[in-house]
Amino acid sequence: MKIKQLAKIGVLASLAITTPLALAQSLLIKDAKVITLSDQGTLQMGDVLVKDGRIVQVAEALDGITADLVIDGRGKVVTPGIIAPDSELGLTEIGAAAATNDSAVQDTSIGAGFNPVVAFNPHSTLIPFNRAGGVTRAVVLPSSEEKIFAGQGFAINLAGTYDSVTHDALLQKIYFGEYGAELAGGSRARAYEQIVSALSQAQEYASNRDAIRRGEWRELDFSVEDLEALQPLLSGEQPVLIRANRASDILQLLALAKEYNLKLIVEGAAEGWMVAEQLAAARVPVVIDAMGNSPSAFEKLGARLENAALLQKAGVTLVIGAPGYAGTHNSYLSRQGAGNAVAYGLPFEEGVRAITANPARVFGLPGGVLAPGGVADLVLWSGDPLEVTSFAELVVIDGKPQSLENRSTRLRDRYLHPKAGTGHGYEK
Amino acid sequence: MRSTRGFTSMRQRLLAVACSAVAAVTLSACGGDKQDKADGADFARLGAFPSTYKAGEAAPVLIRGATVLTGTGEQLNNTDVLLKDGEISAIGEGLKAPKKGMVVEGAGKWVTPGIIDVHSHLGNYPAPSIESAQDGNEMTAPNTAQVWAEHSVWTQDPQFALALAGGVTTLQILPGSANLFGGRAVTLKNVPGRSVQDMKFPDAPYGLKMACGENPKRVYGGKGTAPSTRMGNVAGYRQAWIDASAYKEKWESYHLNGGEEPDRDLQMETLAGVLNGDILVHNHCYRGEEMAIMMDIAKEFDFQISTFHHAVEAYKVADLLAENNVCAAMWADWWGFKHEAFDMTEANIAIVDQAKACAMIHSDSAVGIQHLNEETAKAMVAGQRAGFHIEPRHAVTWMTLNPARALGVDEVTGSLEKGKMADVVVWSGNPFSVYSKAEKVFIDGNLMYDRDNPERQPHSDFELGILDAEGERLPKELKGSNGGEG
Repeated sequence: MKIKQLAKIGVLASLAITTPLALAQSLLIKDAKVITLSDQGTLQMGDVLVKDGRIVQVAEALDGITADLVIDGRGKVVTPGIIAPDSELGLTEIGAAAATNDSAVQDTSIGAGFNPVVAFNPHSTLIPFNRAGGVTRAVVLPSSEEKIFAGQGFAINLAGTYDSVTHDALLQKIYFGEYGAELAGGSRARAYEQIVSALSQAQEYASNRDAIRRGEWRELDFSVEDLEALQPLLSGEQPVLIRANRASDILQLLALAKEYNLKLIVEGAAEGWMVAEQLAAARVPVVIDAMGNSPSAFEKLGARLENAALLQKAGVTLVIGAPGYAGTHNSYLSRQGAGNAVAYGLPFEEGVRAITANPARVFGLPGGVLAPGGVADLVLWSGDPLEVTSFAELVVIDGKPQSLENRSTRLRDRYLHPKAGTGHGYEK
Repeated sequence: MRSTRGFTSMRQRLLAVACSAVAAVTLSACGGDKQDKADGADFARLGAFPSTYKAGEAAPVLIRGATVLTGTGEQLNNTDVLLKDGEISAIGEGLKAPKKGMVVEGAGKWVTPGIIDVHSHLGNYPAPSIESAQDGNEMTAPNTAQVWAEHSVWTQDPQFALALAGGVTTLQILPGSANLFGGRAVTLKNVPGRSVQDMKFPDAPYGLKMACGENPKRVYGGKGTAPSTRMGNVAGYRQAWIDASAYKEKWESYHLNGGEEPDRDLQMETLAGVLNGDILVHNHCYRGEEMAIMMDIAKEFDFQISTFHHAVEAYKVADLLAENNVCAAMWADWWGFKHEAFDMTEANIAIVDQAKACAMIHSDSAVGIQHLNEETAKAMVAGQRAGFHIEPRHAVTWMTLNPARALGVDEVTGSLEKGKMADVVVWSGNPFSVYSKAEKVFIDGNLMYDRDNPERQPHSDFELGILDAEGERLPKELKGSNGGEG
């Protein structure tokens, strides 16, 4: 079955394949441009050897080496796989179909303690579609319409298997800014106070766990589950991703992070460029929508296409997510966002880094660079990896070439030449 | 251009009406047509809020030695384009530079017709998006054909200028999709205006926004009123067309036979304007089977649907679209936000196009509208990957001539042809690259946007004194380098 499936990877037919992909224990890509993002930099013409799920070697010419599968990479470009930093992959199928969504709960009794990981569905149609777009790993986040604490996110690979969850309880997600204010009752001040009181009560809880559990302590404002979930934030084991866009909101978060020694990641940061130096000094990374240049909210008046370039120039670690208008279904379009960021001043290699190496580093995930010994998550692109006319010809996760079929290609092939009659119902 | 006989004859009729209804005629196509007296009733009311847009007196512009995508299927290399008196004056090699005027050195640059977006809500859902500015959806009854989108346009929406920087010269503003009949849509030139009339595309026909599927049945079914199902939707359309047919006959009989003048009804006027061909139907419709039903309704009541919008499943009925001469406006890759958007294929536009139907890109987004060249590029590549031979010279029609046709303005704009409006974009490179930018945007021969000159970049009132009391929302353009892996 697997062989049949892989035989359908049409593009690969032209890539001088000597062995069926699924049976390949080793893989050699030859003569491609290789953007490693490691110390090796970019090889204008290079070879990549993969074996047993790992990258064995990247070099200008791996002569005399053979592999189960050898791919001619001439005219093509290899990069690390894309890592989606802010997805709901596996937690949603159809946005407006409640039964298919597991990222949020209509329940005010839980906040920070919410962890949707058991709801992850590896058979979601979003996974093969985004995989075909070059996404190999993703951070999956909860959302909330009730509380500023959305809960805990996790990480997956996009192999679409039952063991695709690679990191549980990876981080905490919190809303600040306009949306946080709305959830907190109408003011940013209240949202800020809720974060502060949750953190301080989490400290109080940690110091008095037994008494609190026995009910021999004052009543706290948060459940035991929520307070437990905040412990890894206070200990620095878990990063906290907080949404904020306005420059002054970002500065408030920097102060908060300093006070509680949080590993803060700012998500949104539409006005990040206005406080780029402060972000850089605090070593706080940002996850941005590089195409979100509309002043679509009063907290985004400073939105602009140069945001990415200005942040990077100031030394901020930059992660680019999917364009807001595309949503989680099109997580792979972070690539288009990075391309636009480059068009507006971000150095090209930094654009690639912002969708690969930087999310890997910020979230502590494998991959993101091509280096010997590292996990073999990579994409062979038809051309410039940030160009809208390029596409993924080969996607490798943990050393395994992946199917690039998905509902978009299946429907395409069924209706390439639509015609009257009942015939289409019998086509596959 | 592809033969569009049915559509053209309708166009001629509506232009005839348009020309007689408005004193100041600027549509070149209006010349010799005679008004059909049987259509005596003026349902479209083009004279009610007439366009006051007047293009400035533009000095001639010679774009020299560029790569030109004409929008008529040609790519001309190392070619000159001369803009004069607001029109495309000449396209060729070795054109003489005008004595007075501007010369744009086109080496390395590409030239296309101005981008046209048939689906926008700029001004109706402006930025910043706050409760009091949500003016795009009159969600109070399933039939609000009586409302006109232009009456909600906030002309100071800063997003018009962003779209201009993306090369958009013409756009249609539609009411939202909550209702079976959402109201009238208006076509604007993307120029600054104090009033919406200052932006109205002179003599462009009005549109009627209709909506299929999930939205109307959710909005009204949720209130316990009709429609609550797709079949309820269809009953709603048909009853309205029955009523509109009677209204139209009543007025026609009055014009023919005299008697007591019938009462005017704003809702019925818009629908009757569709029935007599003056107003174009723009139909939000995702699913193939629903598009097929809508085309049958159009036959039942003898009107023409111009375009299905958000037509995620257009590829399933591409042959029917071609047969019925109906356009489809699509996204490159959006999907999954609701059930009727689940069956997406990236080859949608290409399949519709290759079936000889009129295919186009559209945005429905204040961000997407700025990148329609990139969206078209993605759709083009999806078509190539499907095995179709589609080149930029053809794909460019998906964002220029075909949307012009959908809006009924293809005789005056949408392609670079002598005598057409000089709505032109000069790109820094191949427009189907993420790294290329619109450098100069001309509307009716006037330089309305110049990336190299902040003085020629429009800034709405909203931009002033915000974030910086003494400056503007954003500091002067930061010069971004053109990137690429090169």
